[in-house]
Amino acid sequence: MVEEILEFLILGFVLGGIYALFAVGITLIFGVLDIINVAHGEFFALGGYALYIAMVVLGLPPAVGLVLSTAAVFCFGLLVYPLLIAPLKKRLGRRAPGPLFLVLTLGLSALMQNSMLAVAGGEYLKVPPAMTGGIDLEFTYVSNQRVLIVVVAGLTLLALFLFLRFHRQGMAIRAVAQNPAAAQSVGIPLGRVFTLTLGLGCALAGLGGGLIAPLFSVYPAVGFTLTIKAFAITILGGLGNLLGAFVASIIVAIVEALSVLVIPSEWQNAIAFGTMILVLLVRPSGLFGKKQP
Amino acid sequence: MLSVEDVSAGYGRLEILHKVSLEVAPGEIVGIIGPNGAGKSTLLKTIFGYLPPFEGSVRFEGAMLAGQSPDRIMRRGIGYVAQAGGIFADMTVHENLVLGGYSLGSSRAAARSIEKIYDQFPRFRERARQRAGSMSGGEQRALAVARTLVIEPRLIILDEPSAALSPRFIDEIYGTLADLNKSGIALLIVEQNVRRILDSAHRVVVLDMGRNAFAGASEELRQSDRIRKLYLGEDAG
Repeated sequence: MVEEILEFLILGFVLGGIYALFAVGITLIFGVLDIINVAHGEFFALGGYALYIAMVVLGLPPAVGLVLSTAAVFCFGLLVYPLLIAPLKKRLGRRAPGPLFLVLTLGLSALMQNSMLAVAGGEYLKVPPAMTGGIDLEFTYVSNQRVLIVVVAGLTLLALFLFLRFHRQGMAIRAVAQNPAAAQSVGIPLGRVFTLTLGLGCALAGLGGGLIAPLFSVYPAVGFTLTIKAFAITILGGLGNLLGAFVASIIVAIVEALSVLVIPSEWQNAIAFGTMILVLLVRPSGLFGKKQP
Repeated sequence: MLSVEDVSAGYGRLEILHKVSLEVAPGEIVGIIGPNGAGKSTLLKTIFGYLPPFEGSVRFEGAMLAGQSPDRIMRRGIGYVAQAGGIFADMTVHENLVLGGYSLGSSRAAARSIEKIYDQFPRFRERARQRAGSMSGGEQRALAVARTLVIEPRLIILDEPSAALSPRFIDEIYGTLADLNKSGIALLIVEQNVRRILDSAHRVVVLDMGRNAFAGASEELRQSDRIRKLYLGEDAG
């Protein structure tokens, strides 16, 4: 039993790394732009496809492939603000957007998913692992790819937090999240920060999609369930709270992995979202409260 | 140095300012007063680029400001202190000042400037690592002023620096403003506290219903009971 628990705990950390990359990106975008990026899962899928092209089609080594695929998704993410959000903002002027931005990213999600389906087909594409082999822990065997996921996700998020804390542009992102008008008054161009934030947030999803691609397959809708799950995670962590999103990701992933031991798997999502609704009703600000990044 | 000419502006299609004009000369303190809803804050927001003017021109040292965004306008050497201060409440005092120097590009230039500000406001050096939002309202307002100084502005625009402050803090902030003015910085101040601004400003502009109602030396206004009664709803005396 103990060995089983440990085994699922390790799985929980692997999943948690992916969830955290994903949910922190959504939270960052929400905190700065006040927009829920429903298309986040499609950037995750895009990361998988980009890695497939880099490694399988172009035959590049895994490390180069992962860097390039993440960079590609970053570039796609950079386009979202200037091509979609800024024009809608401009049309709206000072009118309240209501749910328009939600509809916009929902539209982007469908558009991207369908485009990936049309270009790549609906097959499940296989990407070879970046690392083969693994560690034998006697009670279980951990593949190096899983270790890689935890390490890369952890280091990337650490780098992100350090960037936001100390780098001039990272501080500008936090400034805009806290007080856009004041940020402008010290010379921070809002458009550039919005563009960069969407690029970064999407790149995190793309990296997650690339990291997990060798474990799961790549297909157009691979990220969609993750988007839904990320909503639960971000609410649990407190909307807009980056550290909260990180901790909630790990908690959700571990609970999810361990629950397999006691709860039939077909009930898993029901329980996850039941918990989310419960948290919303009892503590709408999430476990860690709403805090700006 | 700042010249606003026949500016009309407002929100959406709603015009609040109707052909308002004003001038600020180098080193001058100019107060803007008037009843609630006269368009005082709207005027400041239009000058600083938060609102695009419908018509008219805003010039600073000869350069056209109208139509530019605040982050560009501030780079010309203009500081802006918003009504509630507009600090970054969840950041430390030091981070607020560092962001004040964002437009300088080089962090070394900003660091030198921040060092000078710490000499000028020693209490901020003590509180450098404190969360800015945890300070008192008066200190937050002072921090907002200090934050504009990092770029060594030639003009600072302030929207009601005395709002919601106790008299002690009002004295303090106006003392700071007087010092800044002595060092050569021009100030454009919207103020509800008429007595306070008449004591500080060299000239005042009275707005009423979005139009210029009076402009002249503070002394002139102080002596004119009629204007004060008419536009400021004050009892004579």
